[in-house]
Amino acid sequence: MKKISEKRQNKSSFINILKRSIGIALIGISLIWNADVLTAHADAPYKTYTVDGYNSVTETQTAYLPYKTITKIGDESLVTPTDFTLLDDGTMYVLDSGNKRVVVGDADGNLVTTFGEGVLVGPKGIYVTDKHITYVADRDAKSIFVFDENGELIHTYTRPQVAMYGDALDFLPLKIVVNSSGTMYIVCESNTNGIVEISPVDNGTFLGYFGTNATSASVWTIVWRALLTDAQRAKMVGNIPATPDNMAIDEKGIIYTVTRGEGDDTLKRLNIAGVNMISDPGKSDTVPAAIAVGNHDNFFVVSQQGFIYEYNNEGQLLFMFGGKDDGQQRIGLSTKAEAIQIGSDDKIYVLDSDKAQIQVYEPTEFTDYLHEALYLFSKGRYEESKEPLSQVLMMNNLFDYANMAMGKALYKEGDYEGALKYAKLSRDNDLYSDSFWEIRNIWLKKNLSAVIVIILVLIVLNKIIKYLDKKKNILSKPKAFVQKIKNQKLVAQLRYIFFYMRHPIDGNYGIKRQNKVSVLASNILLALMIVFYIINKYFCGFMFKTVREGQFDVASDIIMILVGLFLIVGCNYLMCTINDGEGKFKAIYCSFIYSASPFLVFMPFIFALSHVVTYNEEFFVSFGSFCMVCWILVLIFIAIREINNYTVGETFKIIGLTVFTILIVCLLAFIIYVLWSQVFDFLQSLVGEVVYRIGG
Amino acid sequence: MAADDKILGFIKKGTCAALSIALALGAGSYAQRYEYMLGGENISVVYAQDELDGHKYVASSSGYNLYVSEEDLSVIIEDKTTGARLESYPTYDDQKCNATWIGAMRSAVVMTLISANDDTKQADLVNDDVDKKITYTDTGFTATLYWNTYKLGVTLEVSLTDEGLTARIAEDSIKEDGDSYYIGTISMYQYMGTSYLDDKEGYMFIPDGNGALVYLDDKEGRFSSGYSALIYGEDVGFDESEVNTLLLDRYNTISDPQQILAPVFGIAHTDDQIAFLGIVEDGAQRADINVMPNGVSIDYNRSYARFILRKLYTQPTSNNSTSGSLHVYEADRSHSDLQVRFKFLSGEDANYSGMATSYRQYLLDNGLVTKQDVSYNTRIDFLGTERESWLIGTSAVVMTTTDDIRDIYEDLESSGVTTLMSVYKGWQAGGLYDLPITKYKADSKIGGTKDLTALIKESEEEGIKIYLYDDALLINPDEQNATFNVVKKVNKRRYEYETYKDVYDTFLYVTPSRAGDVLDDVLSEYTKNGVDNLAIAGITNTMYTYTYSGNKYTRFDTAESYKSTLDTIYDSAELVLETPIASYWSDTRAFLDMPLYSSSYILEDVEVPFLSIVLTGIMPVYAQYMNFEANKKEFFLKMVESGSFPSFYITKESSSELINTNSCDIYSSEYSSYKDTIVSYNTEFKALHDKTQDAVIVRHELLDNNITKVTYSNGVVIYINYGDTAQTVDGITIDTMSYEVAE
Repeated sequence: MKKISEKRQNKSSFINILKRSIGIALIGISLIWNADVLTAHADAPYKTYTVDGYNSVTETQTAYLPYKTITKIGDESLVTPTDFTLLDDGTMYVLDSGNKRVVVGDADGNLVTTFGEGVLVGPKGIYVTDKHITYVADRDAKSIFVFDENGELIHTYTRPQVAMYGDALDFLPLKIVVNSSGTMYIVCESNTNGIVEISPVDNGTFLGYFGTNATSASVWTIVWRALLTDAQRAKMVGNIPATPDNMAIDEKGIIYTVTRGEGDDTLKRLNIAGVNMISDPGKSDTVPAAIAVGNHDNFFVVSQQGFIYEYNNEGQLLFMFGGKDDGQQRIGLSTKAEAIQIGSDDKIYVLDSDKAQIQVYEPTEFTDYLHEALYLFSKGRYEESKEPLSQVLMMNNLFDYANMAMGKALYKEGDYEGALKYAKLSRDNDLYSDSFWEIRNIWLKKNLSAVIVIILVLIVLNKIIKYLDKKKNILSKPKAFVQKIKNQKLVAQLRYIFFYMRHPIDGNYGIKRQNKVSVLASNILLALMIVFYIINKYFCGFMFKTVREGQFDVASDIIMILVGLFLIVGCNYLMCTINDGEGKFKAIYCSFIYSASPFLVFMPFIFALSHVVTYNEEFFVSFGSFCMVCWILVLIFIAIREINNYTVGETFKIIGLTVFTILIVCLLAFIIYVLWSQVFDFLQSLVGEVVYRIGG
Repeated sequence: MAADDKILGFIKKGTCAALSIALALGAGSYAQRYEYMLGGENISVVYAQDELDGHKYVASSSGYNLYVSEEDLSVIIEDKTTGARLESYPTYDDQKCNATWIGAMRSAVVMTLISANDDTKQADLVNDDVDKKITYTDTGFTATLYWNTYKLGVTLEVSLTDEGLTARIAEDSIKEDGDSYYIGTISMYQYMGTSYLDDKEGYMFIPDGNGALVYLDDKEGRFSSGYSALIYGEDVGFDESEVNTLLLDRYNTISDPQQILAPVFGIAHTDDQIAFLGIVEDGAQRADINVMPNGVSIDYNRSYARFILRKLYTQPTSNNSTSGSLHVYEADRSHSDLQVRFKFLSGEDANYSGMATSYRQYLLDNGLVTKQDVSYNTRIDFLGTERESWLIGTSAVVMTTTDDIRDIYEDLESSGVTTLMSVYKGWQAGGLYDLPITKYKADSKIGGTKDLTALIKESEEEGIKIYLYDDALLINPDEQNATFNVVKKVNKRRYEYETYKDVYDTFLYVTPSRAGDVLDDVLSEYTKNGVDNLAIAGITNTMYTYTYSGNKYTRFDTAESYKSTLDTIYDSAELVLETPIASYWSDTRAFLDMPLYSSSYILEDVEVPFLSIVLTGIMPVYAQYMNFEANKKEFFLKMVESGSFPSFYITKESSSELINTNSCDIYSSEYSSYKDTIVSYNTEFKALHDKTQDAVIVRHELLDNNITKVTYSNGVVIYINYGDTAQTVDGITIDTMSYEVAE
């Protein structure tokens, strides 16, 4: 019974051979779905996550199961292995760094050979070509060693002796990949210029640096540096670009790199010219260790902590799983992951230098379907991709990539309603906009004549009523009623916003001197504004929504508006009183509220528009909002000036002072909060202690 | 290993006179056995000797002889038929263990002591000054032990019956007289059946999930720690701080390990055809199972139960989490008898399937399970309503109404599916998480109470039972008043169960007595309405230490309280339980959500369906939902192998509706997607069950080439091929990822 695991190993490799004999060309796809890959014996001890349309992380089916663990090749144990290469025929070249050698195993896990003993000094990276030519990046020997298929040393490349390389720079190779023409791409320790590119011509010709990362400086850093003395600045951590930590190369010669701590630039997919082709990358790890290219236009990243990420070629995140073994001792967790490779049967191999083992994961049925869809979709075979996509969606309704792809597939087919539904699920605004445009177009085509007729009828009706009114005065009663309401004091005060908006100077005079408004009216307006704000925030058109569907936080919205308003009004009032302003608090409060009245007038239109426009007409919404904001700002400026009887200069000054006061008040509030929580803690413990002693 | 090697092994360690006597006797006994075995088949009894390896003959049962050493009370069990032995101590000394390890290995009773915030001190019978008073009985012996240094005492009672060997420490015999040392843990015969590296062939059984084995091969030091887990799951009353590296610094990717549902462990020496199954009979509520393969600290394989009497815990000194905290130990220890039964198995039965069948017999004999109606049903659970946030408060998300259920049943019936049972989740007013359920009131959105009652009755007439789901453990503080009757941890801080979901982020635990009261009340309302199908979850596998209004309650109190609640309900209603622990198996008519996998610890070599072997044929066992399985084919075969019935979690609406609810992890459940699967599974499993009927599994074997062979008591044999090539076994060809039935 002990032998079960070994048997499994043998059998799986048998399948590998079988598959390969059928032909590499097939490996891409179909074979994998039909062949029943030997399944793992256990459930995964880790969860698998993906992202939903809002880029927030959600759980999904297990994507890969732990399959087996390779701790030995033949009878050879490994000591801190740091890198390995897995060839399509299943041959595995492991860089056994602790033993300073390369260990070669065949697909069955048998030892083929070892080589490099006596040559390698401190090897860190390995790359093996399809023709079994091995390149080893040896940091301590400061060399690249090249071995032939028999393990004989055939070349040694050392530091390029050209000025362009950089005078003071050492050559400490860590990782290497080689393209089909033999050009080497080398990541070197403490070389921040980028990836060293060396051609095999003339025993190594330095071609230049490749894929250099850009430095970035935040506004804050710039301000900070400006404030520091030279001596202090010298102590700051230098702002030098990060070197990629690891890389991979696909058969087209495209280079994939990972760089730790680079945020959105962590992942790069560089074409021959060194241009990054990933424009909108998904979530990535802060300490990526290695990257590998998959068989379906996808790629994989493993982090040092053992988290494995799968992306499609656009850099969209598909899966995240795995994790660090913090003593749980469960299968499939890593202690220090260093390298990752993908087998031609889609299995993932992760090298753990600390555990000195290679963990193999196999894809589940779910993942197989997804890979099939990925492949078809990237080849533009949308119609065919629908079948595997619907399988994926049956197993997980919420899988973002599948929703997005399904939406696109349906759109291509002209099923715009369906596309709209999936676009909404995957929060794909562009697709939503396009589908909506089509749906609206169809609706308009169908209903345009009806709409025109209705409008005409309404116009005619209006004319008739007006005519009748003139002749027979039928509207006298309703008109009188409306007039009566209009004449009510509160209504008049509310209606004052229309006058105020158009005649701000006179309007402010009305507020200040003529008692045209009341606090009650202002409060009502404020309440209306809050309601409008909330309705717009939570129920505006899909594309313009800034909050996640189904998430509501009304209380904090209201509190935020009220606190903000009273901070502004209060601080402005304080500043005005000590700067000879004439405004009373009531006048200042009312004038601020009335100045915001364009919001009430514009918002319903913007809200209604947001439901009917697509990205093509987005301009109307944003332009509307822009006009509204400008109008409000102008009104506020005039209000401050008129209410307090300031000059333009004084108004600017008071605005500046108000902003400053607001900052001070916030700071004060924070300090009081901190102090009070300490006092509160103390009192609570004291009461607790007393209760304990008495109740004891 | 040949006998010569063994003798060499003895010689290696033989330095003192006592051991050379043992050597002589050991060699003698081998000779004696061979003589008898060669003498003819009818002479098959190995006669007891006066002394064996320094151990004195004590008693015999029908199958075994018992020997004890008066020195350290270690025992030898001898199989009368084969002469095979199990020792409670290692017979080979590798000269690498220090005195503390030797003490632990040889002593019948080993304790860890708590003294001034340290809980690692060991007390045993080898290294300490212990007063021993041994009295022999008909079946074994009683030893009164007193550790003078620590002023601690226990009385160990050992007796050998046909059932096996029991080791017991009665609650009233535990003495703690001093005030500087207290008992932390006690274990009895920790090294029963121990072996050195790969000296023996066989395995140790772990009750992890459904069951798993660790082979007795040389682990080459690969494992730094073994398996150790509390029986019946972790105790939320104690803060177990664990360090987890988080994905994107936020998400815990490691899933919770499976909990131990039955208090069993065991070791099988397949080469000697002798094995034991350990059953923790008393004190299991607060004991852990430890399985340590060679390489974990020492090179001996061992597997044992350890009783926890006292534990250290963290007491924060203020409500502010940044302030300090103290490590304190429980003032009062837990009070219970401690008893482990070692059931010995030999010959054909000395393996894990023998352990499982013998455990089943033990449960039946002691009334711990009763045979239930095991007729076949496909389980289709429905989700009624959930809640999502709205402008103010929450709004209902209606997934499956009573009318929808009628339609689904009708639709399935028209496709020939009539053998069904359902658990209705989220039927109550306020949706799935309006907990606890305090009255029989269905959500108006699913059709209201009357309609639900009507549906249940109509379906009952059609032969479909609909069970109302009730998680009796949780209370939702956002929907119900949770000021009182909620569980506080030992450090008197409220226990909060974090969901990390948007709508309800925290739940609390209702105290056991309150849960009992609420269930009693609601039960009378059900019965008044003529509804008595109830599915209870939560309390069925949760056990904790807690404090309430100044008093501390132990896991024994929790378990007792839940047990009496469930007993009452079982007597007056048709009760089914979700993943119940062994204590409540006698209170359920079916086992819902049987785990089919283990927790995948690296030391586990292979998974075996231990619990399924025990329960299949005794009660209907329903597997976990197949919706969320990534490898449907393999899961299907796992169900076939374990004799479980399939379960589906179904909603009428698409599960994407649930995205903004607490059930957002239900990512696949729409009926239209699952209809075909339900129909085909129903056909296959029904046909399979027609063969096995109410037979039990008598043998389960892992053959070569990924074939599993399951034999039922009525002679039906099922072969399952998990491999990727067709295989022929016993003249039957089994396709890849498929199964065959033979009779």
